[in-house]
Amino acid sequence: MASIAEHPVLSSAVSFDVSRLDSQKLRIRNLEHKAERSTSAPDLLAECEYEGLSWPRRASRLVRRMCESERPSIHDDERIVFTRTTASIPPIYTPEQWSAKTAGRTLHELGSISNICADWGNVLSHGLLERKRVALETRRRLMDEPEALEFLDSAIETIDAVLDLAARYANEARRMGKNSVAAILERVPALPPRNFHEALQSLRLLHAVVWMGGHYHVGLGRIDQYLWPYLKHDLDADLLDIASAEELLAEFFISLNKDSDLYPGVQQGDNGQTIMLGGQTREGKDGVNELTHMAIRVALYTNMIDPKVNLRITGNTDLSLLTLATELTRRGLGFPQYSNDAVVIPALVANGYDPADAWNYTVAACWEFIIPGKGMEVVNIGAVSMPLAADQAIRAGLLAHESFDGILKRTALHIEEQVRDLVKGYSTLLLPPAPYYSVLMDGCLETGRDLSCGLKYNNFGIHGAASSSAADALAAVQKLVFLDKCVQPEDLIAAMNANFEGCEALQDRLLHEAPKTGNDPEADSILVTLFEALAESCEAIKDNGRGGRIRPGTGSAMYYLWLTRGKPGDCNDAPIGATADGRRKGEFFSANLAPSPQAQVRGPISVLQAFSHLDYSRICNGGPITMELSDSVFADPEGMTKCAMLVQTFARLGCQQLQLNTVNLTTLLDAREHPERHRNLIVRVWGWSGYFCELAPEYQEHIIRRHLYGD
Amino acid sequence: MQSGMIFDIREFTVHDGPGIRTTVFLKGCPLRCSWCHNPEGMSSLRETIENPAGKRVVGRLYTVEELSSILNRQASILSANGGGVTFSGGEPLMQARFLNAVIDHLNDLHVLLDTSGYASENDFRRVVEKSDLVYFDLKLIDHAAHLHHTGVDNERILSNLQLLAKINVPFVIRVPLIPGVTDTDENLEAIARTAKGLNGLIRVDLLPYNRAAGGKYSALGKKFCPTYDETLVQHVNVGVFEAAGVGARIVGDISK
Repeated sequence: MASIAEHPVLSSAVSFDVSRLDSQKLRIRNLEHKAERSTSAPDLLAECEYEGLSWPRRASRLVRRMCESERPSIHDDERIVFTRTTASIPPIYTPEQWSAKTAGRTLHELGSISNICADWGNVLSHGLLERKRVALETRRRLMDEPEALEFLDSAIETIDAVLDLAARYANEARRMGKNSVAAILERVPALPPRNFHEALQSLRLLHAVVWMGGHYHVGLGRIDQYLWPYLKHDLDADLLDIASAEELLAEFFISLNKDSDLYPGVQQGDNGQTIMLGGQTREGKDGVNELTHMAIRVALYTNMIDPKVNLRITGNTDLSLLTLATELTRRGLGFPQYSNDAVVIPALVANGYDPADAWNYTVAACWEFIIPGKGMEVVNIGAVSMPLAADQAIRAGLLAHESFDGILKRTALHIEEQVRDLVKGYSTLLLPPAPYYSVLMDGCLETGRDLSCGLKYNNFGIHGAASSSAADALAAVQKLVFLDKCVQPEDLIAAMNANFEGCEALQDRLLHEAPKTGNDPEADSILVTLFEALAESCEAIKDNGRGGRIRPGTGSAMYYLWLTRGKPGDCNDAPIGATADGRRKGEFFSANLAPSPQAQVRGPISVLQAFSHLDYSRICNGGPITMELSDSVFADPEGMTKCAMLVQTFARLGCQQLQLNTVNLTTLLDAREHPERHRNLIVRVWGWSGYFCELAPEYQEHIIRRHLYGD
Repeated sequence: MQSGMIFDIREFTVHDGPGIRTTVFLKGCPLRCSWCHNPEGMSSLRETIENPAGKRVVGRLYTVEELSSILNRQASILSANGGGVTFSGGEPLMQARFLNAVIDHLNDLHVLLDTSGYASENDFRRVVEKSDLVYFDLKLIDHAAHLHHTGVDNERILSNLQLLAKINVPFVIRVPLIPGVTDTDENLEAIARTAKGLNGLIRVDLLPYNRAAGGKYSALGKKFCPTYDETLVQHVNVGVFEAAGVGARIVGDISK
């Protein structure tokens, strides 16, 4: 018990006067800034045609025209500026041209590059003028390579566009008499920031322009590492005190919420504005610093859905840091999401990542581990439906009077089939040029190659979705059909076909007498087998067509709902019927790694133990153990410490990733009935946090039906 | 091997003792406290809960082997986090023989017994001697009131409390604050007088009333019949204990 009582308590309260930022927050939550938006977007098609622009040049022209169309918007109470005023992004090809260009090719999601992370630290520390100098130098070297020249000229056009936008903001600030804001924008992002304030302003602008180029799921990476030198400099030189630094960081965090309604995602809030805190330094030391703590305090203050906080830990992370992070969990924001360095880094290395890069991992939009500036990875090309693979195997295997082992082998084959199909679909992947995003990556300007041509890492990721239900279905067959022999194969299949109508007694046995993932070792070990099969199927593919491999993961993304209810607008993808775990058609699967909603489970310890058996060195795409805690856990201070200990236990057991949601069922039910009373209620959905009332009903329903622990 | 009737095993029960704990709820209770918020713990038999979410059977027989192996699988985690296992109910001492055997099978786990104290002296002593910590529920000191609100006389309870003070096991007295019943100054003063000077007493925990208590009854096909006025304002007087020199605290956030 010594460790409980004695760890130092880190302050969770910010120390600045919050009145200025309170009113900024309120403006944003009331969407007042939307009034400044123009309804029109620049029309690019005519000029692109007239000038006969290539695709890269069209992409850079888009960035330029979007920057030019921005009307500087500066409020009197702002110290970090930029509010988007052009809401929509115009096309650079007509629909007919677009169809022709993409015919026979696979586009990932909306088509444009998304879900990667720039090397923000590198761009900040050099400034855009230096990036431009590099581009010009490469241009001189590659004078006889037209494609390189086309790319570099495009990249330079975007750099000039951003510099021009910054200059217009600076002018507007001067006009308004806001000289300090003007002075900052006269310096950054052209030149390296000289202090924390300049760094944040530079980042705000550089980051916002990525969205304006039509990209989405734009992560921010390890801010407490790459911004720390600026803050440390200011603190050491007494240029800034903690309170003022907190205030600046808070304003930056708030600014990330301004335009998020413009960001495309499956649901509002699914926008990938992630930050990663903590974790190792290049030297293998603990990278936690004052900015790590500050970012958590500031996120507690801002209490908004962006940025989405991730925290890298190990089993040795201080309980004091975990307790501070637990304050965020208690607030119900659904973050931080935790990653275990002791598991993730070796797994990345085992999967071909350079140890010199692996230490620096962050997450993409949700949980997928990526290396900032070095990856053009498509970490979510799709999901294997684990329940479908199990269901096909169970039905066919039982009919063929196979052994249980035979059914497991069939399941593995079906998993392999699905993996092959997903990868095959992506063999014709078309990644559009992204000249501005390339400016922010490592090596593109240096080699004259757009990031869409590939970076150091070019892997694909595949989720293994609804895995617990699949393991439970197989475990039920193993126990009731093969071991106890109390259920006849044909009765089981008939009952599933009837959706258990009139077969309630059998359904009851499947639900209550069969082992369940997260509760019983028999089911847990089948889950291990399923992910081994997924890993083997992925490992069998030596090249994804882009010089990369396939990374299997344990997440589900939105597939947990699509597998249940069908993919919206896609009638080819029929939802799966009743399954051998006793689940009826239409009943939910769990999101990510969690016991299936129909299973009775004892709680978080068994759940963590179950998922600790997976071989994460082979499943390195990420995907968190997902648990909902009752807010009653936090009714007294002891509960805070116990939650922090639970997180420590997660890491010590060798699990990979964890997200905790704190919910009050009564509040959720009330919010569904009276959304107007709960406009600010935040919940974790599958790998991101959003406002409960902005979610579609089926996503709300799923959260209400999840297992609730600690009540 | 003998079996016990369990109605729930819940992990991470943060209000059921020190550290990270798993609580085993044994089914069956000799008391019928009208405020009971675990009505599925009253009957020793299997029951069906039926609510809009569906039907669920509560109550399952576990052999000593089964239950102890579930607990032993997580023993190292519970111990590393300053916790252990809590036996609650119902009244766990109604299955004292089974409980004894389970505890004997545990691998060095911290054991907390959460009891109403209503058990034979022999059962009480045998289990308490194997426990590391006891949560002793004390509701009412007045005999007639106790009989009225809980359905049983409190004589055994009070004598077991004295016995507990003689056995060398630390304990906490827990008082559920029922509006107008147990939370009166008169009753709290009587509890303070009873508690004062008891050997091994760590403190008194006051548990604020949970209005949601009645929710589960209809699902069990039972009727919630409180012997008190639920709408009365909660009276929480820790001062009574301070005056008597007995350490006391309120558990949980009363503002909720």
